[in-house]
Amino acid sequence: MNGVLVVLEAVGDDLAAISRELLGKGRQLADALGGSLAALAIGPTKAIAARAGNFGADQVYTIDAPALRQYTTDGYVAAAIAAVKAFQPALILAGTSFQMRDFGAALATDLGAGLVVDATDIQVVDGVIQATRPSHGGNVINTYRFAAGTTVVALVRKQSFPEAVAQPDRSAPITELTVAELTPRTEVLSVAPKAGAVNLTDAAIIVTGGRGLGNKENYYRLIPPLAEALGGAYGASRAIVDDGWVPYEHQVGQTGKTVSPKLYIAAGVSGAIQHLAGMRTSRTIVAINKDPEAPIFRIATLGVVGDVNEILPLLTEEIKARLNR
Amino acid sequence: MHIVVCLKQVPRDNSVKIRPDLTIDAEGIEKIINLFDEYALEEGIRWNEQHGGKVTALSIGTSDWVEQLRRALAMGATDALLLSDPAFTQLDPIAAARVAAAAIRKLGDVDLVITGRNSTDDESGAFAPALARLLGWPQVTYVGKVLELQPGGMLKVERHLESVIETVSCRLPAVMSVIKDINEPRYPSLLKIKRVAKVEPPVWTAADLGLNATDLTPTAQLVERVPPPPRPKGEIIDGPDAATKVRKLVDKLLEYQVI
Ligand SMILES: Cc1cc2nc3c(=O)[nH]c(=O)nc-3n(C[C@H](O)[C@H](O)[C@H](O)COP(=O)(O)OP(=O)(O)OC[C@H]3O[C@@H](n4cnc5c(N)ncnc54)[C@H](O)[C@@H]3O)c2cc1C
Ligand SMILES: Nc1ncnc2c1ncn2[C@@H]1O[C@H](COP(=O)(O)O)[C@@H](O)[C@H]1O
Repeated sequence: MNGVLVVLEAVGDDLAAISRELLGKGRQLADALGGSLAALAIGPTKAIAARAGNFGADQVYTIDAPALRQYTTDGYVAAAIAAVKAFQPALILAGTSFQMRDFGAALATDLGAGLVVDATDIQVVDGVIQATRPSHGGNVINTYRFAAGTTVVALVRKQSFPEAVAQPDRSAPITELTVAELTPRTEVLSVAPKAGAVNLTDAAIIVTGGRGLGNKENYYRLIPPLAEALGGAYGASRAIVDDGWVPYEHQVGQTGKTVSPKLYIAAGVSGAIQHLAGMRTSRTIVAINKDPEAPIFRIATLGVVGDVNEILPLLTEEIKARLNR
Repeated sequence: MHIVVCLKQVPRDNSVKIRPDLTIDAEGIEKIINLFDEYALEEGIRWNEQHGGKVTALSIGTSDWVEQLRRALAMGATDALLLSDPAFTQLDPIAAARVAAAAIRKLGDVDLVITGRNSTDDESGAFAPALARLLGWPQVTYVGKVLELQPGGMLKVERHLESVIETVSCRLPAVMSVIKDINEPRYPSLLKIKRVAKVEPPVWTAADLGLNATDLTPTAQLVERVPPPPRPKGEIIDGPDAATKVRKLVDKLLEYQVI
């Protein structure tokens, strides 16, 4: 019981970035635990099973059945338990998408395992698994130590670890597992793309506007064009989401999305603690605010004191000119 | 039909401190109902208005929390139940779910449990799935719309995930977690607030629930709790006019290789 099992996710017919991260970190942790690294491809992800060997897995399990064509808690948990029986891992790694959160907590409960959600680091210290996770909107960083001998389910926050590098001539044996009589109690009747879905969480650049934009028209005149010039997405503070300027999908913060882009521009945002909770780990933070005392300047990498109505149009033009867009 | 809504007590904001013994110090910060749980409560009340029966506001918390349970009653919950015991102060989400599961079993006639998508302090979203597994009921999480809820029958919902909407159905009893899109929570009227001001909700302890220490022990030990590393000191970009500041800003962004 000292191996690491990675639950794979696919994007099209390739491994999701999170899976490459988990295989990289998993390899390191398996070595530290003195065990091997296995990957599990459930349902349609079977197509990408072979890729896991290229990225460091020693062993790949696939499990497929009509009932696993779509995600259901019952189906995925049963599949994972079949792999746990076959491989006896000390640590099970998955991502933190909504689906994986639904799955990971259910799996840990069924296994009587330890659980960490949103882990940003995992270590093996004296042979024992430790995991670090933020809570309280990133204001508190907690490190937990699991009892020796407990299986641990760790759901890992995106971009916490470097992605494993492909080794094209490396491969791993693939074992097909089966689950007996699978009848998930939830039935997926349809899956439809979300209209106007904004993937803020995946955006490398985010331009966020707040109440300082003055009104809805001004927000749309100034914020999305800058985001577009930068090839990024646009976000909003809760104040203006609550006022109906911008849909909730765009809200960043404690009760919105947690984002960590390489560039976060906050314009006319005061920097309330609940807003900072959602963006404080961004690599570079730019603040534009007319009040030099605004709390946002305390965490900004670069600050401009000025009026958004003046700064933003100039900034959009300057970016377009300099980036030839 | 009996709906249970789980309400967690959280600090209004997360400017908390860390005590030397690693517990969280939220002294001086108002305790509120976890924002997402207000949506859970509103949904429970709406379906109760349609089908009748009971909506119980259930919370694991301290006794000073009764005030917020009264707020839930003023909003339209028909019952409130506080699960309170010194042994409940350091629960991890699965242990918290074990406490709630024991209470729901003791209630006996529950058809649906509604929770928020996650708490704003612990932020795990693990409670609802753990509760469903412990009760042996199906779960539907991240629900943005309930399409059908038939007493004794089916639950049909939309799960709003990152980039897709799944329509899912299951039989009751079930556990459901909800997101903000689902409704607009009501404000309790002053009249109702007055009417429930003296209500003392029943309090069940670990002993009442037949829970012992092993049921409540966290699987992991907290070994370190620190504030986040400070951000490198920032720089205010100066200049005689807006155009100069903007030019300097873009220079920096190019230098940092973020654009
Ligand atoms: C439980 C709870 C959860 C919350 N969750 C969130 C959340 O998820 N996300 C979130 O964002 N908030 C959240 N909030 C709200 C938060 O406390 C703040 O109220 C909110 O973030 C403020 O939004 P804002 O910065 O746009 O507006 P304000 O605080 O009003 O700030 C506007 C800023 O614009 C500046 N300004 C004004 N005019 C101009 C101009 N012409 N040019 C340049 N600058 C200008 C002002 O100086 C000011 O700093 C939450 C609050 C609570 C209680
Ligand atoms: N102590 C608690 N008392 C009541 N409900 C809770 C408690 N902890 C969690 N919950 C419920 O579970 C949801 C998810 O919480 P969490 O798993 O902590 O993110 C919350 O929105 C609540 O509905």
